[in-house]
Amino acid sequence: MPYKILDKKELAMNEVWYKVHAPHVAKKVEPGQFVIVRAFENGERIPLTPVEWDREEGWITLITFIRGKTTMRMANELKPGDEILNIAGPLGNPAPMKKYGRVLAIGMITGIVEVFPIAKAWQEFGNDVTTLHVSPNPMVILEEKFEKAVSRHIVEGFDLQPGWGMNEIAGELVKRAVAKVRELLESEHFDMVLTVGPAGAQKAVFNVVKEFGIPMHADLHPIMVDATGMCGACRVTIGGEVKFACIDGPGFDAYKVDWDELIHRIGFYAPMERLAMEHYMKALQGGEQ
Amino acid sequence: MAVKRKLIKERVPTPERPAEERVKDFGEVNLGYTFELAVKEAERCLQCPANYAPCIKGCPVHINIPGFIGKLVEYRDDPDRAVKEALNVIWACNSLPATTGRVCPQEDQCEMNCVMGKVGDKINIGKLERFVADYARERGIDEELLFEIVPKIEKKGQKVAIIGAGPAGLTAAGELAKLGYDVTIYEALHEAGGVLMYGIPEFRLPKSIVESEIDKLRKLGVRILTDHIVGKTVTIEELLEEYDAVFIGSGAGTPRLINAPGVNLNGIYTANEFLTRVNLMKAYLFPEYDTPVYVGKKVIVIGAGNTAMDAARSARRFGAEVTIAYRRGPEDVSARIEEVEHAKEEGIKFEFFINPVEFIGDENGKVKAVKFEKMKALEERDSRGKRKIVGTGEYVTIEADTVIIAIGKHPNRLIVNTPGLKVERGRIVVDENLMTSIPGVFAGGDAIRGEATVILAMGDGRKAAKAIHEYLTKKRENGNA
Ligand SMILES: Cc1cc2nc3c(=O)[nH]c(=O)nc-3n(C[C@H](O)[C@H](O)[C@H](O)COP(=O)(O)OP(=O)(O)OC[C@H]3O[C@@H](n4cnc5c(N)ncnc54)[C@H](O)[C@@H]3O)c2cc1C
Ligand SMILES: Cc1cc2nc3c(=O)[nH]c(=O)nc-3n(C[C@H](O)[C@H](O)[C@H](O)COP(=O)(O)OP(=O)(O)OC[C@H]3O[C@@H](n4cnc5c(N)ncnc54)[C@H](O)[C@@H]3O)c2cc1C
Ligand code: SF4
Ligand code: SF4
Ligand code: FES
Repeated sequence: MPYKILDKKELAMNEVWYKVHAPHVAKKVEPGQFVIVRAFENGERIPLTPVEWDREEGWITLITFIRGKTTMRMANELKPGDEILNIAGPLGNPAPMKKYGRVLAIGMITGIVEVFPIAKAWQEFGNDVTTLHVSPNPMVILEEKFEKAVSRHIVEGFDLQPGWGMNEIAGELVKRAVAKVRELLESEHFDMVLTVGPAGAQKAVFNVVKEFGIPMHADLHPIMVDATGMCGACRVTIGGEVKFACIDGPGFDAYKVDWDELIHRIGFYAPMERLAMEHYMKALQGGEQ
Repeated sequence: MAVKRKLIKERVPTPERPAEERVKDFGEVNLGYTFELAVKEAERCLQCPANYAPCIKGCPVHINIPGFIGKLVEYRDDPDRAVKEALNVIWACNSLPATTGRVCPQEDQCEMNCVMGKVGDKINIGKLERFVADYARERGIDEELLFEIVPKIEKKGQKVAIIGAGPAGLTAAGELAKLGYDVTIYEALHEAGGVLMYGIPEFRLPKSIVESEIDKLRKLGVRILTDHIVGKTVTIEELLEEYDAVFIGSGAGTPRLINAPGVNLNGIYTANEFLTRVNLMKAYLFPEYDTPVYVGKKVIVIGAGNTAMDAARSARRFGAEVTIAYRRGPEDVSARIEEVEHAKEEGIKFEFFINPVEFIGDENGKVKAVKFEKMKALEERDSRGKRKIVGTGEYVTIEADTVIIAIGKHPNRLIVNTPGLKVERGRIVVDENLMTSIPGVFAGGDAIRGEATVILAMGDGRKAAKAIHEYLTKKRENGNA
């Protein structure tokens, strides 16, 4: 069932925004839920998060960080007017809607995309929401939207140094996130913390939050295939029990997550993902000759 | 029967690709009959009278087996006619013969009590059924037959929603469309077919066959909405506002895991994940196809049903050394005999009476071995007639870099959480007409049975279609009154 791309923009370096006609999702999606996108005939099924939607007009927006083959192919090959082959959803459970009081919602790099609908809804529900975006400066997105949606939006940006690879970026991200979160928690009172982002950085932030004993909700990003509870690829250990993140999550109590297991599982396909990317780059170069 | 026939004791064999060749690719293993060979096999059938024929009794949907086999012999001089007549007989009870001919456990069903078995080999009913369906598809005979049906359909003006496009849902949809209902299938995945598409591998059931069956449904006017997850995209309650009846054929897709330490190590797959990556996402064509799968050098598959055989044989095709580990003995293997034989030919090892107790990982969280407890069987039998097994307290550790767990599945969870839907041990509860606790909502296939078979799911689809027809006929009459 193809879904038409109504609009597309590069919001920042490697951050691509799509507005897509997907009325079945637009009608039902709630903050905290996600969709599975299969963009190409020989493509993967990847989870992405509807950022905004219009139930009447039947569209949703998605923002992808160009990370590997699928997100790169989407950026290169899809134009407004083209169709995405499949968008299944909404999937996963909505984020709990409660009056927590003062909330700190942290998005690291593209994790901020998923923070947006939740933070906005929590604010509307009567919470006092501070959002924190920790990210390389060239990848900062959604600033204006956040400023309108929540009480206070903080950007903790950092510059990319020449010669940095993924490891250096991740290292700096963790350093910045940990320092900023510690600073905020030492100087202010919060009743609830939310994090979305790379699992390693989520774990590091959790270790700080834990010292302050504040409840924390974490949206997890294990590898998914069907996202309907059928395959078990997304399994995570929560409080000693095996859960399927696609139907039991994606949000969980951060205190119960087995972080090291999650980090191992997410990294499992890295060598093959690189292979897929190289294969794609070669094909691209071949095509240009 | 006037003509006295000579008994031919031996089965006419179907050509198979040699094991050394086929383990290198995902092409089909069994090549099936030609018309000439099919007629030769058909001639062996004794044409037992339909009211007595044990083969018909053994088939869960009671196909008139001597009836369709007889047509092949009767019209042997006109192959197209012979196949069309035979297909017409089969279609009266079974709309997916290319599939069932390949995947039914014939040895426990139609072929089990075939009378030819008393004097020689039983009739190869499955392969004949498959032949009729394949020949018809290749020559467009099935479409011809379909186009004769379509204009005769009288529109009823009532709408039915089907949840899940597996064999149960597809069959219900086809039958209801033929009865004149306006049918829409809601399917969670991006392709219709259920287990036929994501579970059973290409080398056993080519996906082009399933696609062709689904194409025929579309020609009958059935609408298929993929990417729609009932319980998320739309609820059963909402479907009831739009449709006059609902059929649930959501299957038993939730994999059962082993409750042992280390089960979440990398390299440990459920059979569903492994097979979905390989079949639905075509990981065997990686990196042409984007979805990866990791198959190491040594693979252990835990379990001994059809799913285990499919996983083991798929892994073998990636060049791995594969061992099937089963906690019971050879007599309890539940896979089709043909699959077990094919697995052995392909060099898959079997280890019996061992039960996994721990998965051992390396420092990167990747599995490197499995620790098993040795089991032994008692004389005492359990409720299913299997010998009880107990641990011996002795252990054995086997190295493996990939482990595939194939120990069974539960019904899909998203549906069973529907308010008002009565469920017992995960299975949807139905009455004798397959109606659930919600009026107008029917269910069948693995969703009510737990893991069963394709033909039982289809039988349920057909039975439910009939019951829905009766239910909607009453509704129409009451509406008109
Ligand atoms: C619930 C959920 C919501 C998400 N929302 C967004 C979003 O809004 N925007 C966004 O940019 N990203 C989001 N992601 C992550 C996104 O799915 C990955 O970035 C994407 O799959 C990368 O695919 P690729 O082929 O480009 O990269 P690859 O090279 O294939 O993978 C790069 C990394 O992405 C992750 N990944 C790869 N495949 C999958 C998969 N099938 N499922 C989950 N993670 C995978 C792994 O960490 C992997 O190491 C979300 C993930 C989850 C689980
Ligand atoms: C690997 C494997 C090998 C097998 N081999 C054989 C064999 O050789 N012979 C044999 O007879 N049987 C075999 N079986 C069993 C057989 O495939 C099943 O019994 C049969 O497919 C059940 O049919 P079904 O229609 O009830 O469900 P399924 O085939 O499971 O189809 C259910 C469909 O519903 C969809 N669905 C689920 N939840 C939702 C939802 N909430 N909303 C929308 N859609 C939903 C699923 O995506 C799926 O497409 C095998 C099974 C497996 C897994
Ligand atoms: S449907 Fe299955 S059991 Fe029935 S005749 Fe065909 S192969 Fe045999
Ligand atoms: S029981 Fe065997 S011999 Fe008799 S009709 Fe059936 S297939 Fe033919
Ligand atoms: S992604 Fe398959 S069960 Fe969650």
